Amino acid sequence: MMINSTGSEHGAMLRDSVADFVARGTDMARVRRMRADGQECDRALWSSMAEFGWLGILVPEACGGLALGIAEAAIVAEGLAGTLVPEPYTAVAVLAATVLAKSRNGEMRDGLLRDLATGKSLIALAWQETAGDIEVDTIAVRATPFEGGYKLDGMKRYVAGGVAADGYIVTARAGREFALFWVPRGTPGVTVTGETLADGRPTATITLKDALVPRAHELARGEAARDAIETARDFATVVASAELLGVMHRALDMSLNYMRTRVQFGKPIGSFQALQHRAVDLYIQRQLASAVLEDGLRRIADAEDARTRAAIASRVKARCSEAGLRIAREAIQIHGAIGFTDEYDAGLYLKRALVLASWLGNAALHRRRYARLALEAQV
Amino acid sequence: MSATDYNAMSDADFRQEVRTFFERNYPEVLRYILRRARWDEMRDWWRTLYDKGWIAPNWPREHGGMGLDAGKMVIFLEEMERHGVARPPDQGITQVGPIIMKFGADAQKAYYLPRTMSGECIWCQGYSEPNAGSDLANLQTSAVIEGGEFVINGQKIWTSMAHDSTHIYLLVRTDRQAKKQEGISFLLVDLKTPGITVRPIRNIAGHEEFCEVFFDDVRVPVDALVGKLNAGWTVAKALLTFERLNIGSPRRPQYALRRLEMLARAKGLFSDQGFVDRYTALHLDIEDQGSLYSRFVDQVKRDEPLGQDVSALKIWGMEAWQRLTELLVETGAEEGVIEGVRDVDDVGVDFLSTFYYSRPSTIYGGSSEIQRNIMAKYVLKIP
Repeated sequence: MMINSTGSEHGAMLRDSVADFVARGTDMARVRRMRADGQECDRALWSSMAEFGWLGILVPEACGGLALGIAEAAIVAEGLAGTLVPEPYTAVAVLAATVLAKSRNGEMRDGLLRDLATGKSLIALAWQETAGDIEVDTIAVRATPFEGGYKLDGMKRYVAGGVAADGYIVTARAGREFALFWVPRGTPGVTVTGETLADGRPTATITLKDALVPRAHELARGEAARDAIETARDFATVVASAELLGVMHRALDMSLNYMRTRVQFGKPIGSFQALQHRAVDLYIQRQLASAVLEDGLRRIADAEDARTRAAIASRVKARCSEAGLRIAREAIQIHGAIGFTDEYDAGLYLKRALVLASWLGNAALHRRRYARLALEAQV
Repeated sequence: MSATDYNAMSDADFRQEVRTFFERNYPEVLRYILRRARWDEMRDWWRTLYDKGWIAPNWPREHGGMGLDAGKMVIFLEEMERHGVARPPDQGITQVGPIIMKFGADAQKAYYLPRTMSGECIWCQGYSEPNAGSDLANLQTSAVIEGGEFVINGQKIWTSMAHDSTHIYLLVRTDRQAKKQEGISFLLVDLKTPGITVRPIRNIAGHEEFCEVFFDDVRVPVDALVGKLNAGWTVAKALLTFERLNIGSPRRPQYALRRLEMLARAKGLFSDQGFVDRYTALHLDIEDQGSLYSRFVDQVKRDEPLGQDVSALKIWGMEAWQRLTELLVETGAEEGVIEGVRDVDDVGVDFLSTFYYSRPSTIYGGSSEIQRNIMAKYVLKIP
């Protein structure tokens, strides 16, 4: 039922320790407090996640990481998402960490990876610019050579972890090439504004106006930069799907429990066939999502080319986004009026599903992308 | 005992051998026939498989089968579907043979098993009745013991291929006092026995695949009984889960998917976003079913028993298949509702047969609604 692509003892142990961590370190009251405060990251909790090694799960051992794979990152993300942990785990430990790990600038990269893994520095990837577009070719932020470094201009949108971040990896167009730059928070010319997502977490817009970065902050350029962004995006897309699966597990279990215990007309509402069939359909969606995710995790690590990798990610995200949203939406319906109250947790699951389903491309986007990549549709 | 230990072969080698054999020996005209094959058409193919020692892939080698383990069995079935090999009237092989092996007396094994393999005994399944469809345990056809014989009276219906069969395996009521499931017995009956009338029923596709079978004071010896008296329900249930895995193979909709793809290319529909969106959603529905299917297959390969959640595969797979054939008919537009193989921009498609063929899949083998009831009770454990 859970992800068992790494079917190993190691995977099982990791799953147990995430479950244990979640049980001790967080609960819905904390999630609600952070929502009320608009807080994106509790740095104390973040540090303890770092101590378990989870922030550095994809970071090379030489930089203090665990050097494990995307399957392990997915186990952690799924476990955290089950209790709606708001901290931007996937954004930092998968999206930013993968970009960094694939960067060329050894010295800068190693230092940043080390700080990312220890939790000292919360690093976000600022790459997307347009809603409903996850391709890198449309990136428009410009990097112009200036006094031995670069001047960055443009706007990055929908940056997860961006409000809490200590710095950003910014993708830009440098002449005809792509390039990646490290931009610490507080760099003159960089403005960060947050807007509130459905689940209460902030999403950041980063405005760059004549923002100067030294040449030493260039992390990668050309094909290496493109490969780093695209790999990170595809990996994070799959891990975000694992988060959706975590949400599905709790949301559906919550609905099933309610069906067992809520009595109307003198019997549990779960005895009514209309609700039973609805629940079975939701269960089938969860099973499909978990099978596709498991399949995707097994295959994406050794995908032979970028196109195959992207197609795998799209297939996984398309199913998980759709299934996650459906299970969370119907959780409200199955609960009836109580499900529509702010006090009840079903709404929190729906809101997280809304955010995760749209992050890094929703189901509609990924189905179209899959059609182009795998079915050779010409639209 | 069959000489070859197929389980010792690598999966790839086995798959290649099966594929090559089908490609060389299976009659081209019978590929993807989109209906149940009749015995007259399949007789030669049966003989070919029998001579090769492949007529009973699921049977143990000591009974003359191939003795395939679950993993190899899945490969065998996948290759059948890949090449569009029709199932002959094979319920003797898939159903009653294994039941006789598990529950039958030695004399029943010695008599029926070799004859079932050779094609001398062709079996049909007498389970459903006019008032016992989804509620199968409500069946009323009775068998009363009189003078060392069972006397059978009643009616079976939706009996696939009864008109091509020589024998029928039956669920009959042998105790009217017992609770529904506990008064049922399992009998083996020769269809030539006096008092039996078989009447074919034409289905909406225009084919005569299923039949009514009437029993009017039909007398059979008591050794027709398989297993214990009144234990027929347990006997019949023994095989159901593997069936649902087999039925949920993502290969089944491949013919319709392939035709739709060819048609869409010919008509330039892959530059129509509206079409592409729907086509892709269906394509993913079927591909994702494949991921779920593989997970169950892996479970079988690890020798873990399949649980009731395998019903998910049948529900999802059959409903996705139907949606696919609906889009195929729609894409055919006016051509999509004309009978026979239609030539549309040089692609030959039998729209209606494809559409009809998928219809009963959500009814037979336990309707989708019954499967959902089962899952709600045994998997989700909601009251």
